[in-house]
Amino acid sequence: MDPLEPGNRRDFLKLGALAGLGFGLGAITSAEAKPDPAQVMRRAAADIGAIRPRPAGNKPVWDLTTKPMEKIRVGVIGLNRGSAHVASTASTPFAEVVAVCDIRDDRAKAQASVVRKKTGKTPAIYSGDENAWEKMVARDDIDVVYVATPWEWHKPMAIRAMELGKHAFLEVNCGLTVDECWDIVDASEKYQRHCPILENCCYGEEELFVLNLQRQGFFGDLKHGECAYIHDQRGKPGASFLDAGRDWRRRYSTLLQGNLYPTHGLGTISQYMGVGRGDAFKYAVSVSSPEFGLSQLRERLKPDRDRSKDERFVCGDMSTTIVKTELGRTIVVQHDNTSPRPYSRINLLSGSLATFAGYPNRLAIDVDNTSSLLDPKEKRNSHSWTYEGEKLKKFMAANMHPLLKKLLVEAKKVGGHGGMDHIMNYRFLDCIRQGITPDLTVYDAASWSALLDLSDRSVRDGSIPVAYPDFTRGGWKTLKPLPIIS
Amino acid sequence: MNHPENSNRRDFLKLGALAGLGLGLSAVPSAEAKPDPRDLKLLSASDISTTRPRPVGNKPVWELTTQPTEKVRVAVIGLSRGRGHVNSAANIPFAEVVAVCDIVEARAKSAAANVKKVTGKEPAMYFGDENVWEKMLERDDIDVVYVATPWEWHVPMALKAMAKGKHAFIEVSPAVTVDECWQLVDMSEKTQRHCAIIENCCYGEEELFVLNLARQGFFGDLKHAECAYIHNLAGGVLWSLGSEGDWRRDYHRFMDGNLYPTHGLGPVAQYMNIGRGDAFKFVVSVSSPEFNLTQFRDKHQPNKGKHKDEKYVCGDMNTSIIKTQLGRTIMIQHDVVSPRPYSRINALCGTQATFFGYPARLAVDADNKHPILDPKVKHNSHEWTYEKEKLSKFMKENQHPLIKKIGELGKKVGGHGGMDFVMNYRMLDCLRQGITPDMTVYDAADWSAILEISAKSVKDGSMPIQCPDFTRGGWKTIKPLGIVS
Repeated sequence: MDPLEPGNRRDFLKLGALAGLGFGLGAITSAEAKPDPAQVMRRAAADIGAIRPRPAGNKPVWDLTTKPMEKIRVGVIGLNRGSAHVASTASTPFAEVVAVCDIRDDRAKAQASVVRKKTGKTPAIYSGDENAWEKMVARDDIDVVYVATPWEWHKPMAIRAMELGKHAFLEVNCGLTVDECWDIVDASEKYQRHCPILENCCYGEEELFVLNLQRQGFFGDLKHGECAYIHDQRGKPGASFLDAGRDWRRRYSTLLQGNLYPTHGLGTISQYMGVGRGDAFKYAVSVSSPEFGLSQLRERLKPDRDRSKDERFVCGDMSTTIVKTELGRTIVVQHDNTSPRPYSRINLLSGSLATFAGYPNRLAIDVDNTSSLLDPKEKRNSHSWTYEGEKLKKFMAANMHPLLKKLLVEAKKVGGHGGMDHIMNYRFLDCIRQGITPDLTVYDAASWSALLDLSDRSVRDGSIPVAYPDFTRGGWKTLKPLPIIS
Repeated sequence: MNHPENSNRRDFLKLGALAGLGLGLSAVPSAEAKPDPRDLKLLSASDISTTRPRPVGNKPVWELTTQPTEKVRVAVIGLSRGRGHVNSAANIPFAEVVAVCDIVEARAKSAAANVKKVTGKEPAMYFGDENVWEKMLERDDIDVVYVATPWEWHVPMALKAMAKGKHAFIEVSPAVTVDECWQLVDMSEKTQRHCAIIENCCYGEEELFVLNLARQGFFGDLKHAECAYIHNLAGGVLWSLGSEGDWRRDYHRFMDGNLYPTHGLGPVAQYMNIGRGDAFKFVVSVSSPEFNLTQFRDKHQPNKGKHKDEKYVCGDMNTSIIKTQLGRTIMIQHDVVSPRPYSRINALCGTQATFFGYPARLAVDADNKHPILDPKVKHNSHEWTYEKEKLSKFMKENQHPLIKKIGELGKKVGGHGGMDFVMNYRMLDCLRQGITPDMTVYDAADWSAILEISAKSVKDGSMPIQCPDFTRGGWKTIKPLGIVS
């Protein structure tokens, strides 16, 4: 949910200097007991991977269709990260922001005024009260609720929204534990409401390019992927990970030992590999490095030291997890947000006929690759990167994903991590408009987020492999791959 | 082995085109029963992790000193890859190549002729006979024997060389199994002969630069490293008869793990002082499916379809994670068949800086106050602080003393961009001075053991496999490598 997930490397470099500003989300209290991340249910290795029976009466939602509609009415909770979703929605002709909600009055008012400026209509404002979000969710003129609050609030807010008949668009991470992941799956299946994960990185330019190539068989047989959330968020005095606004997020570094933020990397690789749609995660094995980053930051940043002086950081700086899939493929997933290194999601896809690597972007093409996208007269050699720099840019432009072709110009105008926020929001809202299933479902939300708990469990148990629960309850074997949508 | 272990990316790109030429090693048969990799003793999960007791009478060799000598007398077995070592030794003033050995007569003669050309003196030649290497080892005028033969021959040859009073310099991987690793350690400790792994990548310019910085505390607290052997051999050398195509593919038929760990792991282990203050604790390993060897074979039918019945079990990409006793993590990969450019990754992450290879990049923390940095220049690790020309300049200013001393000569003599020569010069210079080489039998064992340990983990569903301690507790007190010159 960090506001600085770059859409591409160049944008990131520009944003780099802002990375430490600590745009934390305000905690949003409510009549619902305030969730405490230390109290969430942790499972033993033996049953963390078990498939739970589907409660009677529930039905799968992977091809849930809903009634098409002309105008989608949107409410947004959490207006720090959520401000990007407000901006997108206000710029989408078939969507309307009817309500905004934040514990802070100033944030709520500011977003309401953004909407008014853009559309001429002022949305309802909910703020300042611990119950505010519940009141908003109870309105009967909302189709979709965006949930962009601190992680511990995601599940209760999403479930309440679905219970009250809304689709819930849920920020990353969607569930903190495997238990929470099951809860949102069951709620979505019970209420027959969509609960997609708002994984904006699935809509990045490079990611959509790779997905587009992959769907056309360009990579041959897929064998291996690598991804990460490597983002130095330590910051500097007055704008650091030790600030009050970051209290909730820092808390996780005192509770969990694995990958705290898996979905930005894992989402895109899962889409390339058709995870949940023909393949599925089988198990995860995880190892963490020692912790230095936050402890040393605390020593360095004296003014902020007192706030966190009693915190004990147990999360290793670098978490490396390997996920094995049912088809035998391997995925490396890393997390490191306290080391002195440039941002990277790695974004590597390795197939029998080609290899793509991000940060910086490079593509190697096998001599035996006979894809029709290639010029048969061009001599290629995968012993060096076939396309990089300008040559790759040209190839990317020639093979742009249809969704990007349609929306790129507008998305760059609206902004939000280089435009990918808008592309995602537009596409999701468009799915609701048409009444079709969004590209990212509650099963994606669950399986990608579950790595948080699974990696922690593996690390705690000395890096034993931990079986992955199958949130589709066998559905992955017959679900069709995502088409190339536009 | 005989692949372009480049010392820098630019050199590699030049060498890239040669990668498939198949300058392989011939099998060297002997009176000793020809070893079959399928007969190797693979251990159970409990045995593989056991630290075996030191046999009575054996003594550690981690600070073994020997009689200094003016001239180090060298013999080389296996003259495909070994030819590089012959050439290095011939160009070192305090070394002499006294004998060369290969089953193929032409290779022995060619290497001998090269020595004669460089030094004026022709070494003895051993070739053509299955026993020849054993005959060569009977000589009493050899100080060190290089073993550069197919993997299954490494251990028997090294053991016999040490038993005959010679130091053994073994090519990578020195051993295929953990049991073999113990044999090397025990023989070295018994005979008090050095048994060094000749891991040339530890002497690459970039690697020595990173090591130099790490030794000076530039990286702060080390937390994580990444390394690999990613080198596409699927279209070339793995099918090359008369060389590696005769034997190297065999390992893909019965082991699923990291078949070639040391090129990546050696340098990273040196950065982290593995065996000298830290040690490998356990390994988890996961393999991808196998595609590319089978697909290449079926599409191109190399050697007229001779290999059509072979079944390859080694996953194309193997990823292992090693946890160390100090809690650090090392990700290590092996992929010799996928369509991707060469890479050893060569990443080192500390609290004060991060280095990545392929291409080389260095990020320096804003708070890094190391004296080699200009205090007036502001750093920002949100971007690569040094890359390309800027990094080349910084690397030059902070070159490892060994490179300063013989880097230029190394480039002239050649061998993977010069690193073969730098390594051979340093290793032979240690023998000349009578001091312990930088890489010991414990390094040879630690690094090679990942081969069987990773395969074991894969076989057991990626369970963590504890690493045996070949130093038998010595790592806790052995001093870190100095910055040598």
